[in-house]
Amino acid sequence: MRRLTLTLLAAWPLAALASEPSIDPETGLATWQAETRGIQVRLTQISPDQIRGFYLARGFSPEATERYARECVFMTVVRNVGGAPIWHNLANWRYVSADQPPRTIRSKVAWEHLWKRQGVSESARIAFTWAQFPAIQVFAPGDWNQGMTSYSVPRGGHFDLRFVWHADGRTHSGKIEQVRCADEHS
Amino acid sequence: MNIRNRMAGTALVACCAFGPAAAHAADLPPLAHSLTMQAPKPAPALKLKDIEGRTLDLAQLKGKVVLINFWATWCPPCRREMPSMERLSQAFKGQPLVVLAVDVGEDPDTIEAFTSQLDTMPTFPIMLDTRGRTMQSWKVAGLPTTFLVDKQGRIVASAIGGREFDHPEIVRAIKELLRK
Repeated sequence: MRRLTLTLLAAWPLAALASEPSIDPETGLATWQAETRGIQVRLTQISPDQIRGFYLARGFSPEATERYARECVFMTVVRNVGGAPIWHNLANWRYVSADQPPRTIRSKVAWEHLWKRQGVSESARIAFTWAQFPAIQVFAPGDWNQGMTSYSVPRGGHFDLRFVWHADGRTHSGKIEQVRCADEHS
Repeated sequence: MNIRNRMAGTALVACCAFGPAAAHAADLPPLAHSLTMQAPKPAPALKLKDIEGRTLDLAQLKGKVVLINFWATWCPPCRREMPSMERLSQAFKGQPLVVLAVDVGEDPDTIEAFTSQLDTMPTFPIMLDTRGRTMQSWKVAGLPTTFLVDKQGRIVASAIGGREFDHPEIVRAIKELLRK
């Protein structure tokens, strides 16, 4: 795994993809998208208030909700737009924000531990788990899925996301640059 | 959180989870219409209560083709594909096709708050996997995920992500299964 990570980090600039966001005229929320070699990855900002509304309605306490709303959360869509099966492992994805080394996306398991410690109910934890983007998933041609991914980046801060996937026995990576965390009052 | 944003957030949840924001920001991926065919394998057990309190057991549906859709009301593609499941169910009325939806972690009131907004209320059973155990045994990694089970009770196809279930390609695959 370490070798894979180092290899991909070395190859990162080669796979960089310029990406201009599209902006929702109604909400002002932005979407970044990359499509390369059979995969399409899309990140759409979720505002802190959307997070609060969603999780409070699912039984999260205000404290637990605020904990998650502090994160920079994106609706993440992955689609197999090629002709061969692909699969991903979120543990291999990395994001880089200013002056920080590459970081992993906090896993559903890590969140689950935190929610248990905070006394979040089981039904709320189930909703949380299934609302997150799957940690590992195989996509046949035409398959797609969406879910939340979260990044520890300040409001309005930027980061680059390197996404990694596997197809035909090979590992590939791509990059979405300058993704911007939603403002507090998006 | 200001009042306007709180109201927007509440409306978002009550209405469409994250669907509208994401859909407006950039069009969501279109609903696909492919099924991934696979070598037949026995379907795991599926015995749950539906929102009316009736118990339904997949084992008792042998001799019928069954389309099983795992979903939740807060899952945008799940919401988008549900009307096409109802159209599919109606198109095969009187034939040995059963459409089943399995909701994860929600109660009947929450589900009915959603289905009552649809142009056509689903007539197929909506079952309750309250603790997500059935989804785990079916190895569902994300929502929505759909399986097609043949008359022998074997999984023969699957689909990850939203589908237009009454698309001719899917209808054709179901007709072929019904002929077998």
